Amino acid sequence: MDIIIKNGLIVDGSGLPAYSADLGIEDGKIVSIGKVGGDAKEIIDASNKVVSPGFIDPHTHFDAQLLWDGQARPALAHGVTTIVPGNCSLSLAPLKAEHRMKLVGMFNQIEEMPIKAFKEGVEWDWETFDEFLVRIKKGLAINVAPLVGHSVLRLWVMGDESMHRTANPQEIAAMQDLLKQCLAAGAVGLSTSFVDMDETLQPVPSRYADAAELDALASVLGEFNRVLQIVHEFYDIDLTIARIDQLAELSLKHKITTTFSPLFVNADDSELPKRVMARVDEQFARGARVWPQVQTRPVDISFCFEVPSLLFIRLPSWYQVMRFGSHDDIVSAFSDPERRAALAAEAQGMGDLWESLVLRQVNTDDNQALVGKTLKEIATLRGTSAVDVMIDLSLEEDLQAHFLSANMGHIDDDVIGPLLAHPRVHIGASDGGAHILSFATYGDTGYLFSHFVNECHALSLESAVKKITSDTALIWGMPDRGLLREGYVADVTVFDPNTIARGEEYYTQDVPGDGSRYVRDALGIDTVIVGGSVAYTGGGYTDAANGEIIPGAVGDP
Amino acid sequence: MGLNLQRVNCHMTHALSTQRKSTLPQPEDTWESIAARELPELDLTEATSALQSWNLHVFMRPAAPEGSPRAGNPILPSDVIFLEAPTGPTRGIFGATNE
Ligand SMILES: [Zn+2]
Repeated sequence: MDIIIKNGLIVDGSGLPAYSADLGIEDGKIVSIGKVGGDAKEIIDASNKVVSPGFIDPHTHFDAQLLWDGQARPALAHGVTTIVPGNCSLSLAPLKAEHRMKLVGMFNQIEEMPIKAFKEGVEWDWETFDEFLVRIKKGLAINVAPLVGHSVLRLWVMGDESMHRTANPQEIAAMQDLLKQCLAAGAVGLSTSFVDMDETLQPVPSRYADAAELDALASVLGEFNRVLQIVHEFYDIDLTIARIDQLAELSLKHKITTTFSPLFVNADDSELPKRVMARVDEQFARGARVWPQVQTRPVDISFCFEVPSLLFIRLPSWYQVMRFGSHDDIVSAFSDPERRAALAAEAQGMGDLWESLVLRQVNTDDNQALVGKTLKEIATLRGTSAVDVMIDLSLEEDLQAHFLSANMGHIDDDVIGPLLAHPRVHIGASDGGAHILSFATYGDTGYLFSHFVNECHALSLESAVKKITSDTALIWGMPDRGLLREGYVADVTVFDPNTIARGEEYYTQDVPGDGSRYVRDALGIDTVIVGGSVAYTGGGYTDAANGEIIPGAVGDP
Repeated sequence: MGLNLQRVNCHMTHALSTQRKSTLPQPEDTWESIAARELPELDLTEATSALQSWNLHVFMRPAAPEGSPRAGNPILPSDVIFLEAPTGPTRGIFGATNE
C-alpha cells in the first residue's frame, strides 16, 4: 500500500455520522476503509483528526496563478484539492494572440489581477483550450475543473465586434463549435456574466449576447452534460429572480445544471435571501437545477490608492482618478485644494463609511503608531475629518497607506448560518485567486468549520464536509470524487476539527512582477492528499504533482 | 408505540408564484419596440416612458462617451427588461460592482 491513514475520524462526505477507521491508499485510489493492517510506504497518524474528502472550491479565478503556481497557494494548504477557475465569463483560453492584452485588461479590471503579474509571470504559449490545459498540467498539484468564459468565446469568434453587438447565426454556430472543442478537451462548463465591466468601463462581451445565443450555447452544454455558471445582478432581488427563471428555462430545456453566484446577505435587505430561496425551491420543484452559491466569509475590502479599488466604483471622481490616473495624477489630485475639496464632497455620499476604516499598514516610522486605529480615532487625534485623514495619510505614505473596511456586509450569522445549511444552497463563491489586493480569497472552508460549525452550530461537522465535497462533486459532475469510498480517487484532507480555521489575513509579496496580495495561512490542516500523493503537510508543500483536469478530455480513461 | 410518520405533502404542483413580469430583448430592440410589443394597450410615448421608469438599472446606467458603440446608452441584448413597476425596495448595499 502507498499510504495508510491510521485511527482517524472518518467524515466521508455523505453527511452520514462520523466513525473511527483507517484509510488505505494505493495507485491514487482509496482501496480500503476500516481496520487496515500491513505495511505502507507512508503511515499518517490521524488520531483526534478528521479524515475527509478533499474540499472543492467551485468559484475561483486561479486561471493566471496556475501558470506560475500549480499548487494554487495557499488554497491547497487550506485543504482544497479541486478548484473551478474560469468563472464569470473570463477564462484564459481559447484566446488568440491578438486578444491577449484585451483579456489581461478585463482580468485586471474585474478580478483585480495586476497587469504586471501577467507580463512577468506568464509565457503566452497557447491559443486553444486544449493547449492551455496541456500548459497548466505541467507541475499541477491541485485538480482543476475549468470553465470556459463566454466573453472569451465571443472574442475569439467576433474579435472587437464582440464588444459591440449581438452575434449573427454563423457566429453563433462558430461559438457552438468552439465550445464543443473546449468541452471535448476537458472543460467542466461555460461561464457568463450579466454585470461585469471591462477595463474601459464598458460591458464585457458576454453582455452583448442575446437570449438566442445563450440558448444555443446551453444546448451544447446539454449535449455534453456540463454546467452553466453566471454572475448576475446580485444586488437586486427582482433581477436575481428574473435570472433564476432564465436559468431554470435553460436547465429544463437542455437538461443542464446551472449555478449563479454570489448570493449575499445584506443587513438592509433581509428579504433578498428569503425570496431568492423561495424561487429556487419552486424552480427545483419543476425539475430545474439552479444552484445559488453562498460564500462563508463576511465582506471585507482593503485598499491603497496605488491600485483602483471596487470600493470606490460608485464615486465617479475617485474611481476615474484611481482607474485612469497615474501615481502622480493621484498625488496631484489629492494635493490640489480645489480637486481635493470636490473629492471630499463626493465622499460624503458614502456616509460614515470613512470613519470606520482602519489603517492597516504604512511604510513610514512616523505613522506606525497609528496602525490599527480607525480613521475616526486618527481624525480626532489630528483634529480633522476621516476623509482628510485618509487623503493626508496617503500623501504622507506616497500612496502606500493601506486601509481596511471590515464587515461591509454578509455578516448576519442568524441568516447566513441557516442559508449555508439549506440543502439547495451550494457553498462557494470564494473568488479564490481574484481581488488579491482587496481581500484574501482563501480559507473560506476553514471559516465554515471554525465559525459556522464550531461557534454558531449552524451545521454539523458531517453536513459541512458534505456541502464542500460530495455536494459539489455531484452538482458539477465530478465522477469518483467528493466521497471517501473504495475505488474513489484519493483526494483526502486530514484536519483537526477543533482548530481548523482560515488564519489571519496578511499582506505578502509573492506575485510575479514584485506584486503583493492578501493571503491567509491555514490553521488545523494536517495533511492534504491529491490523487494519492501527499501534496501538503503541516510542514509545507511537497513536490507532488498529481493534479488532474476534471472531467478531462472526452474519451480519457 | 408506533412511529409517528408525518404525512408528506405529495401534491406536487409545479406552478410558479407570480413575480415581477419581465422580458429579454429581441435583436435590434429599442425602448419603443419593446413598449409597442409588450404594452400595446398604452399610447407609445406613455408606454416608452413607463418602461424606462421601471428599468432604471438600464435607463440610468452611466452612458458611454460619444463615438463609442454604447453612446446613448442603448439596451444591451442581455438586459432584463421589467414590464411593470417594482413592488418594493430591491437594492442592496453593494450597488453594481464587478465580481
Ligand atoms: Zn467571480
